[in-house]
Amino acid sequence: MGAGDEDILRIYDETASLIADLGIRGRISIDEMKFLLDLLELVLIKKDKRDFINMLKHWNPGQGDEEIDQIIKATLLNVDFKNSLSIEENQDMIGELINEKLKDGVR
Amino acid sequence: MNVNFQSALPDELLMDMESERRVLSSMLHSEDACIEAYHCMQTTDFYAPKHAAIFDLLSSLFEREIRPTYVELLKEAHSLGMLNNPRDIEEVKYIAEHYIDDENIKYWIKRVKDKAKIRRFVDFLKNNYQILRERQEQDIEQLLMNAEDHLTNLTALEIDDKIDTPEDMANLGYDEVERRFLRYQEIQLKHKGVIPLDGLATGFDNLDHITLGYKAGDLIILGAQTGHGKTAFALHTAKSIAVNYGKNILYLNTEMSREQIALRWASILSEIEHDRIRMGDISQNELSMILNGYSKLRASGFYSYPCPNLTPEKTISIARKFRAQKNIDMMIIDYVGRMEKQDPKLQEWQILEQIIKTQKILAQNLKIAVMVLVQLNPDGSLQGAKRMKNECDLMLKLSPFSKEELEENEELNKYARKPNYYLYIEKNRDGRSGVRIPINFDLQKQTMKDAERVGN
Repeated sequence: MGAGDEDILRIYDETASLIADLGIRGRISIDEMKFLLDLLELVLIKKDKRDFINMLKHWNPGQGDEEIDQIIKATLLNVDFKNSLSIEENQDMIGELINEKLKDGVR
Repeated sequence: MNVNFQSALPDELLMDMESERRVLSSMLHSEDACIEAYHCMQTTDFYAPKHAAIFDLLSSLFEREIRPTYVELLKEAHSLGMLNNPRDIEEVKYIAEHYIDDENIKYWIKRVKDKAKIRRFVDFLKNNYQILRERQEQDIEQLLMNAEDHLTNLTALEIDDKIDTPEDMANLGYDEVERRFLRYQEIQLKHKGVIPLDGLATGFDNLDHITLGYKAGDLIILGAQTGHGKTAFALHTAKSIAVNYGKNILYLNTEMSREQIALRWASILSEIEHDRIRMGDISQNELSMILNGYSKLRASGFYSYPCPNLTPEKTISIARKFRAQKNIDMMIIDYVGRMEKQDPKLQEWQILEQIIKTQKILAQNLKIAVMVLVQLNPDGSLQGAKRMKNECDLMLKLSPFSKEELEENEELNKYARKPNYYLYIEKNRDGRSGVRIPINFDLQKQTMKDAERVGN
């Protein structure tokens, strides 16, 4: 294990612990905790589904249409991160919703 | 005198918390380390109940083919009610942060296991001390013999090792014979006298007849010269076991890409010439035949692992993983000459000998058949052959008939289709050797069959 690898592992372990801590303390729901843990795993360990991650970077929750934010969040919480097909199917839908929101913002 | 062994000994003699944490942390962060620990350790090796519980949890994830990362551990522990307050998370995080270099996993495992052995020794002393105190009128010879028996288990043997008593051996032997007798009877009745196999079907009836199949714990060596059908033989074996009989098999290839292996199957399963398939020169009907062939592969137990930089250590790790997760019955290494050399100072034959020894131990430990493909010299010999022959259970050589023999040997005219290749049984631990089995090898279709004899 190189020094850089250990840094990444430390970030991964710290972040995962923080997410779990928030879940246990009730600051976030258990579904939110599981989603954030899966997302962390996808980014730092599996290093997969870059398109999906890049797409999420364009989402600014809390700005603009709240209803769309709620739909996006509900969809994200239902993604089965163990199933590649589930990620891809929901990616299209979430992408459309984010675009919709961006368009509304421009108007 | 009243001795409390546990309190009379310092804690650091009985336990090594740091090593336990380092093993668990390594399991969380490295798949190779996880395979090593899963294979070598058991729950009771851990002193701390929490560590033992985490080891169980990681092993359970691994068996379910979920890589046991820190995130998966948190999720699983939460769903099982093991994470109830922030302090629980802090404890797990503290364990996870005991990073080690993956290469040192064996060192940390040994430290943990050594402490477990000491604890078992303390239990041994305690039990015998109690027996002495409680039963003062007893047969001292018997007491010493029992103690010696227990002590031998602690020193010489691993926990899962077992010495067979004469009674065990007799029972085991009779059970084996009875099982074969009953199966033979059953097959005589059901299949009109076809000899029952003891292991996995080889794909050749004549070879099955002589060897009774590839058996668990067997090491099989298949030698052939370059371009004389090593891979075709390996995939023919794989087809018999994984496609025809639905058993799980792991195929390690050091030379070919995933695409090349996948394409080979098209010819093997459809019996259409490989060159035409490679060029795409096939009809619509043949495309359907190939699709039908692949549907059989899809439903089979064939697991392929192309690995150009394969090492003996890596084969152990991969085999353990697939045995635990896919319950494989056989592993084929195609081929051994391409495996990476660990020690440049050793001669080629010494390296081959080491690899062969490793594979034999692996076959016995995992109770699977292991087939290793080796390359023969142009004169048909094999470097280090004598030593390899000692290690293996079955040694086969695949060769084409010489042009002269094809022309002059009258025996070869007694087959429906003149055989062009033969399998020579150089060694067979459980049966006849020195036998040649004629076969038909269609190089274009990559298929092999027993040559069918028609005359006397």
